[in-house]
Amino acid sequence: MRRYRVLAALAAFLCSTVLATATLASDVTDIGFVDQAALANIPSFTDANRQLAGYKATLDRQFAKEMKGVRDQNTQARIAQEFQNKLARRQHDLFAPLFDRARVAIASVASSKNLSVIVDKRIVVFGGQDVTSSVIDLLNGPGDPIPPVNTPPPSSVGFVDQTQIDTIPKLKAANDDFQKFQADQQQQAQTKMKGAKSDSDRQQILKDYQSAIADKQKQEIQPLVDQTRTIISDVAKKKGLLLVIDRSNLIYGGTDITSDVTSEFK
Amino acid sequence: MSRANLSKAGIGRAFVRLGAAVLGAALVSCAHAATSTSDAGSATPNPRIGYVRMEALVKVHPLYSQLARLDDDMAALALKSVGTNIAHSGEDIAKDERDLQKQLDAAAASTTAALKGKEQEYAQKEQAAINAALGAGAGATGPGSAQIAGAMNVQAQSQAQAVEVAANHNLDAYRGELVKQDQAAEHSLQVSLAERAQRTYRAEADRLQKNESDFALQQASDDAADRLSLRTKLSNLALDDASRADVKAQLDAIDRKEADALGAMRNRDQLQLVALQRQLHDQIVAELGTQVAEIRKRTSSKINERVSDTRKELVGQIGQLGAGGGAGGAVVPNGVTPDMKAKLVALHQKFQHDFNDDAAKTVAQFKKTRSDLVRRFQALSGVDTQAQAGAGQEMNTLQKQRGDLYNEMVAQIGREVKVVAEKRGIDVVVSDVVAPAGGVDLTDDAEKDIESLHE
Repeated sequence: MRRYRVLAALAAFLCSTVLATATLASDVTDIGFVDQAALANIPSFTDANRQLAGYKATLDRQFAKEMKGVRDQNTQARIAQEFQNKLARRQHDLFAPLFDRARVAIASVASSKNLSVIVDKRIVVFGGQDVTSSVIDLLNGPGDPIPPVNTPPPSSVGFVDQTQIDTIPKLKAANDDFQKFQADQQQQAQTKMKGAKSDSDRQQILKDYQSAIADKQKQEIQPLVDQTRTIISDVAKKKGLLLVIDRSNLIYGGTDITSDVTSEFK
Repeated sequence: MSRANLSKAGIGRAFVRLGAAVLGAALVSCAHAATSTSDAGSATPNPRIGYVRMEALVKVHPLYSQLARLDDDMAALALKSVGTNIAHSGEDIAKDERDLQKQLDAAAASTTAALKGKEQEYAQKEQAAINAALGAGAGATGPGSAQIAGAMNVQAQSQAQAVEVAANHNLDAYRGELVKQDQAAEHSLQVSLAERAQRTYRAEADRLQKNESDFALQQASDDAADRLSLRTKLSNLALDDASRADVKAQLDAIDRKEADALGAMRNRDQLQLVALQRQLHDQIVAELGTQVAEIRKRTSSKINERVSDTRKELVGQIGQLGAGGGAGGAVVPNGVTPDMKAKLVALHQKFQHDFNDDAAKTVAQFKKTRSDLVRRFQALSGVDTQAQAGAGQEMNTLQKQRGDLYNEMVAQIGREVKVVAEKRGIDVVVSDVVAPAGGVDLTDDAEKDIESLHE
């Protein structure tokens, strides 16, 4: 009996030790996050930003000079487009290599830390692994980061590209209609504001405007939002995912279900 | 095996085996737990991922009313900035200025035309006077120069009166415009000062309200442990009535203490706001008085200056007219004596010069009036531009205040969510989820915790 007690105590001790280890390890999950604002402050990015700002200033001067005396709207639009293209090309030349390098560094850190997904810091409320400093160290270090051998493991976190989903004809039509309604309402409210005599009049105009927008949104947009959410949830469940986030919040890994969702709509 | 075989030793071995089995099971169980944890790092679905609907949590936060008010303020400012009471747009100002210029140019043109008409009229009368004088001279032996001079004096007086009327009219118009512009400037100034004071007051009121909210939160947080302990005691069904009453009294005492402290703080803040309101009112009155006096002084000085200039010019013009008499634009016929002819030509030239000079001065006077009015108008549009810049600045301030407040709220929500997540064994909690699937929704639990901050 005494021996049993000893064994039971030993079992309890071992169990508590292992559990304690497990608890300590519980902060370590396969979800990592990066503070993108911090990445934007590393010297290579700030240098590129400075160069782009300088180039933009030069272009602005050239643009003003070229536009002088041009009255034809088509010509104006063509010149503006040319300058925008120039700026976009320069931006691409400056930043594309940096983004590629950052992507490799993030993938490398994710692989070394066994992370299946890395998201933007802004959406992490609690937990997760902050890999910002590791990525910065790698980017600031000598030479190029080495890409991981393996592709990211399948993740329980899915993502959708909402900009792509918004192009589904039914959703696009509703969005366009709502934006037009909003613009009309705003114009009407502004006209009324000009004629308002007192603060209470102005408050009433604002209240009416907000109420009209909210009603329209509730009637026409919310049902579509709910429908989209249900479809995304169903697709995610079928694929064994736990959460679905927007692509803009995803930095690395994750499971893309955008095409599945758009197919479900059709 | 006999029952006797189930000896004490055998039982003991059985216990040992059982003990080993328990240990083994425990280790497997523990290892499984550990594996589950480390599996979180693998591709298998992890049930310990949670999410919250941040928008819903922000709405139940004690500071949400402040956030909503800032949103309303920004929306109102965005709509109001196109209203008339904040600022005119650059286009409006340019249009008004163009209208003003047009009016003044038209006035100058009509003055020039009027002067031209007078010149023609004068020339006709002069011709008639010369004809009469020459006719009288032909019938009499003595020269008709005295009569001519008399006729010229009559003309000069008539012209002087016309010039004086025109000058007075210009002066009145100038004075009227200046007074009108002054009134508009004073009104704009009044609105601008009142809005500035309102912004100052509102900023202070917001600051004090935020302090009160922070204080209330701090109190609730400080007393949270005591309150929880007392509520736990109350939930004990075995608690006797006397003890229950005592615990309730303690809870009430905590509530009262917090309410009293907050009430005292609010009273102090209210007094501070009343004092600030009085101070701002006094400041507006003083500043308005000073600036209005300055505006009126400037205007009065300009009008006086103009009156003086006009008088000098009138005296000069009328004096010249009276002294000159002159033959105007009349045609001098042949057959007059050379002396008479020379005299008439000299008079005509002098008169013509005086008349042109008068016309130029009258037009110049109009132009001066116009440029003064334009300058005044530009000064007013300067006030307007300041108002517009003020609205933009206010929008930036509101946006910054909103951002700071939102971050503060989200940070506090994060702390509450962490507590909830730890209680429920959730490792990672994210927000901004497009659609939930199998993750744990912690929003309701977190809402309760955040709502308890109100108590």
